[in-house]
Formats: sequence, structure tokens, C-alpha cells
Amino acid sequence: MIQHTFGLLVRPSAQWRTVANLPENSFRTLILYPCFLALLPAVAWYYGTSRVGWTVGDEGDAIKLTVESARQISVLFYLAMLGAVAVIGYFVHWMAATYGAASTLTKGIVIVGLTCTPLFLAGVVGFHPLLWIDLLIGVAAVSWSVYLLYLGIPIVMNIPEERGFLFSSAVVGVALVILICMMVGSVILWEYGAAPAFTD
Amino acid sequence: MSELNSALEHPTYNYKVVRQFTVMTVVWGIVGMLVGVLIAAQLAWPALNFDLPWLSFGRLRPLHTNAVIFAFGGCALFATSYYVVQRTCQVRLISDKLAAITFWGWQLVILSAAITLPLGITSGKEYAELQWPIDILITVVWVLYAIVFFGTIAKRKTGHIYVANWFYGAFIIAVAVLHIINSLAMPVAMDSFQAYSVYAGTVDAMVQWWYGHNAVGFFLTAGFLGMMYYFVPKQAERPVYSYRLSIVHFWALVAVYIWAGPHHLHYTALPDWAQSLGMVMSLILLAPSWGGMINGMMTLSGAWHKLRTDPILRFLVVSLSFYGMSTFEGPMMAIKTVNSLSHYTDWTIGHVHSGALGWVAMISIGAMYHLIPILFGRERMYSIELIYTHFWMSTIGTVLYITSMWVNGILQGLMWRAYNQDGTLTYSFVESVAASHPGYIVRVAGGAIFFFGMLVMAYNLYMTSRKDVELQAAPAVASAA
Repeated sequence: MIQHTFGLLVRPSAQWRTVANLPENSFRTLILYPCFLALLPAVAWYYGTSRVGWTVGDEGDAIKLTVESARQISVLFYLAMLGAVAVIGYFVHWMAATYGAASTLTKGIVIVGLTCTPLFLAGVVGFHPLLWIDLLIGVAAVSWSVYLLYLGIPIVMNIPEERGFLFSSAVVGVALVILICMMVGSVILWEYGAAPAFTD
Repeated sequence: MSELNSALEHPTYNYKVVRQFTVMTVVWGIVGMLVGVLIAAQLAWPALNFDLPWLSFGRLRPLHTNAVIFAFGGCALFATSYYVVQRTCQVRLISDKLAAITFWGWQLVILSAAITLPLGITSGKEYAELQWPIDILITVVWVLYAIVFFGTIAKRKTGHIYVANWFYGAFIIAVAVLHIINSLAMPVAMDSFQAYSVYAGTVDAMVQWWYGHNAVGFFLTAGFLGMMYYFVPKQAERPVYSYRLSIVHFWALVAVYIWAGPHHLHYTALPDWAQSLGMVMSLILLAPSWGGMINGMMTLSGAWHKLRTDPILRFLVVSLSFYGMSTFEGPMMAIKTVNSLSHYTDWTIGHVHSGALGWVAMISIGAMYHLIPILFGRERMYSIELIYTHFWMSTIGTVLYITSMWVNGILQGLMWRAYNQDGTLTYSFVESVAASHPGYIVRVAGGAIFFFGMLVMAYNLYMTSRKDVELQAAPAVASAA
């Protein structure tokens, strides 16, 4: 699996073709790929928020979460990431017929999981929460993921590029809607039980 | 100019007024967005107001909103509605004189706004800042607009009224009602701009947001859906996916939107039941909103092969995507629990701009690129390449804007409510401002990219309008995405 991670970063086009040509069995195991990679941001942010902490402005002590609170939020974060990949993957599969591509639910989830590679890797910044650098890396990761999506959909779904463009745009639309669901979900969870507890 | 106009005169239709409004759409778009970029920069670097009162944020912000909504958006709606109503009714506007009066009258309204707002003359009502003399002028122009529009429909040569006209019609009627009721005010003296609203206290707030949200609902949604229902099928060269869906979601939209206003007043002095009603109605609103998006998307979905060579179609596709996204986000933000975090943060500003830049501006730009060659008697725009450039600038600008405001909004909302074990606040307010600074800079960049895209459009418009300039060769297979 690790070769996909590096491949998608350094030679994305060729790597997508490799993925598209994988035999059915190895392709199916890739569904586990996001389960492993999503561990990176979850662990990083657990460590970063509870042990390292962050400061705002230029004053004072680092702000930290209590260990229990950070653990609870990190677990929810991990589940939310996997849930989002699964739901967007389902939508990719669901829309495939509209764009004339043969698909399975596995295929949808694998495409989305691999597309998220830069985002998962960028999650490592959580070890050292520093707002502006996290933002810069985050923007770069999002851009690379979107690029991977537009590149990968036509290759793995085996459809012409112009149809892939519309397909990918529809996926971006769905992803934005899911992102809003995550934002709304976080707010509601904050209100009902999962509010962070800060150390004093 | 009159010589130019007579050479471009259409035998049946009045294209002159459409052309005038189209050109002014681009002009006011540039002006409004420039002011927007300036005030965004002021939020990142406050020294940019140069200590001049008329350059201060509080005075320029209403100028920005009025310029982009009523000047840019308004001109786009006037242009397209006059064009669509003639083409779909197959008759000329009932009166060229009245149409010309609406054009000059509307420009006069915009100019008065551009003068009074920086001087600090304002009613203090958001999106209805203009004072009573200008409000009266708006009312007169608007009634004349309604007479021209509905008069043209009345003498139509076609059997039925095409759905785009239903949306334009609802927009014209609802905006008249909203504007008149919300702007009712008692002048202090006949020689004074100052006036006081006839409503007081909570009622004033409720009327204001009944107006404010329906300005979004009818000005920025119904009107632009009218635009969508003409230009999307036209550009895709396909019939509307479902005519029945268009009628059903029209009536649902009209019936539900009117009730959603109270979600702007969650956790205020407004009675709790009214807040809850506003929230529920906002959630229901998702269905008719998405009805429009689905209809547009399904109409486009058979035209994939055209996307490669037609950047105008791309503007329309992306505008529908942003429409779908922001009309999903809106109901979510109207949920009281969510609103308690999102309200007063930059999330709201991000939401507004995903609608304003992503939906309203993009569909207008797409419609303008469709109209300009027709109005100037050219085969196509001067440069197709430049439309591509504009498309990417608009998309990237919008995405940067929205994402920076999402990050800032969530950041602010979370920081404001975080407290320590001993009950003290974790952050001071100014710390949340400091944390927002990177987001503000990204927003300036996004807004500026969008603004420069409008300059590209203006150049393309100018070159298309010049008779002595050859059109650039259309790219054989336009640069791939």
C-alpha cells in the first residue's frame, strides 16, 4: 500500500493507471487503505492537542486539551474521516452510472481513499499545532487532492476526459456538502457531550 | 453611440436596453468587487482606510453590498429579463421609452447610492441602507419595470408563459412588496435625508430580516433561477429536464422562502416560537432549492461533449454546483444549535459569498458571455481563450474565499465558546482576531483573483464590441481542463 502513497505524490498519473490495472483481489484490499492512513492525523492531533498545545497571538502558556478530552475527540475525528470517505465513495459509485462508468461500492471508496492521501499525510502537522503553517500545508494538501481527483476519475473509471471533468466536479460538490455536514456535526456534538475540556 | 446603436438594431426586439444593461453589469461588477477587495484588505491591514471617514469600513461595506447586489446583480437581471421576456414571448417590449427610463432611472439610483453611502447617509438597515428620497426613486423605477415586463407578457404571441418568466415575475413582484414595506419611514424634515422607520424594536428587526432574507430569496435566487431556466437549456441546446419539476419547485420556493427570515435573529429578543418557525421553514427550503439545482444539472448532463469546447457551459455548471452547496449550507446554519456557533463569525460571510460569487456572479457571467456576441452582432466573443482564463480565475477566487472564511468562521466560533475547567474563557476576543489574520489575507487574494477575472471580461467585451477588430480564431480543441 505504501507504494501507492508515494506514487500518488510523485507520479500521480502513472500511479492511477497502476491502480486501475490491479487485479480484483488486490484492488479490493485497498479499501483498508484509508483505515490505516486516517490513523496518522488522528494520532498526530491527539498528541499535538494534549501534549504540545498551541498558542494564539504572542502571549502566554500553551493551550492544551485534557488527555481524556483529546482522546474522545480524536476517536470521533478518526470515525468522521472514515465515515466521510465511505459516504463520498458511495456517492462516487452512485453517480458512476450517470457518467457511463462501470462501478462498485468498493471502487468508489478506493478512489476516494486514495484521493485523500495528501490530506491524510498533511494531518501529521497535528504533532505541532501552529495555525499559519498548518493552514499553508492544508491548502497545499487540498489542492493536491483535488488535482488527484480530476486526474484519477477518468483513469480508474475508464471514461473520456470531458465526462470525467463533470464527474469530478460533481464529486467535489458532494465533498463540499459532506464537509458542511462535518462542520454542522461538530457543532452539534460540541453542544451535546463532546465539548473539548481544556487544561487550566 | 446612437450611430452604433442604429447599426445594431434588431428588426423585432429591443436589444438596445439589453445591451446597455449588459455593459453596465460588467462596469458595476468591476466597481463593486473593487470596493469589496479594498474592504477585505482593510480587515487584514486596517491602516488601509488612511484615516479618511469616507474610506472607512463602516461606510464602504454598504457601498460594496449595494454595488454588487443591486448594481451588478440588478443590471444582470434587468438585461436578461428584458432579453428573455422578448425572446420567449416573441414580441418587442411594450414601450422602448419606459424601458429606457428604467435603465437611466436605475443608473441614477446606483449613482445616488455611490454618493450618499460614503458620506455616511444611511438608514442603518442592512441591504436597505439607502435613505427615503432614493427609496422613492427605486419604487418608481421598479413599478415601471413591472409595467414593461408584465405588459410584454400580456401581449405575447406564444401560448404559455415560459417558466423563466415565472421566476422573473415573482422576483419583480416580491422585491416591490419587500422594498416598500421595509422602507416605510417618517422623514425628520422634507429637506433632510434622515428618516425613522415606522417600525420599532423587535418588530423593526423582524421586518428588516423578513426583507433581508427575501432579498436573498427573490432578488438573488428567484431572479437568477429565471436566468438559469433560459440560458442553461439554450447554451446546452437541450430542453429543460423536467418542466413539471420547474413549476412545482417554483411554487414551493415562493411559498416557503417568505417564512425563513427569523433565522437571522436566533437567540435575540424575537419570540422563541418565531425563531423555531424560521428554522423549520429554512430546513424545508432545502427541497425546492435543490429542485432547481437538479433540474439545471440534469438539463446539462447530456451536454458533456460540449464542456470541452464551451467555457460558458462551464460557468453554468459550476454556478449550479455552488448553488446546490450554498443552499444546503444555509438550512444547516439556520439550525439553532449550529447558528449559536456560526452567527457573528466569518462562516456567515463565507456562506454569503459562496452564493454571491459562486452562484449569482458565475451564472450572470455565463449569461453575459452568451448575450454579448448576440447583442453586438458578432458570431462569438472576441477571445474564447480569455473566457477560459476568466473561468479559472473565478473558480479559484471563489474557492479561496469560501475556504478561508470557513476556517476563520469555525476558528472564531470555537474560540469564543471555549472555556477552562475553572469557567474562565480560554481566549480573549482579540486573540480570535489575531488568529483570523491568515484567513483574511487568503480572502483578499481570493477576492482579488475574482476581481481581476472581471477585468479580463471587460477587455473581452470591449474587443467584441469593436467592429474593426477581427475575432480571434476559436481554439480547435480548447485547452483541456
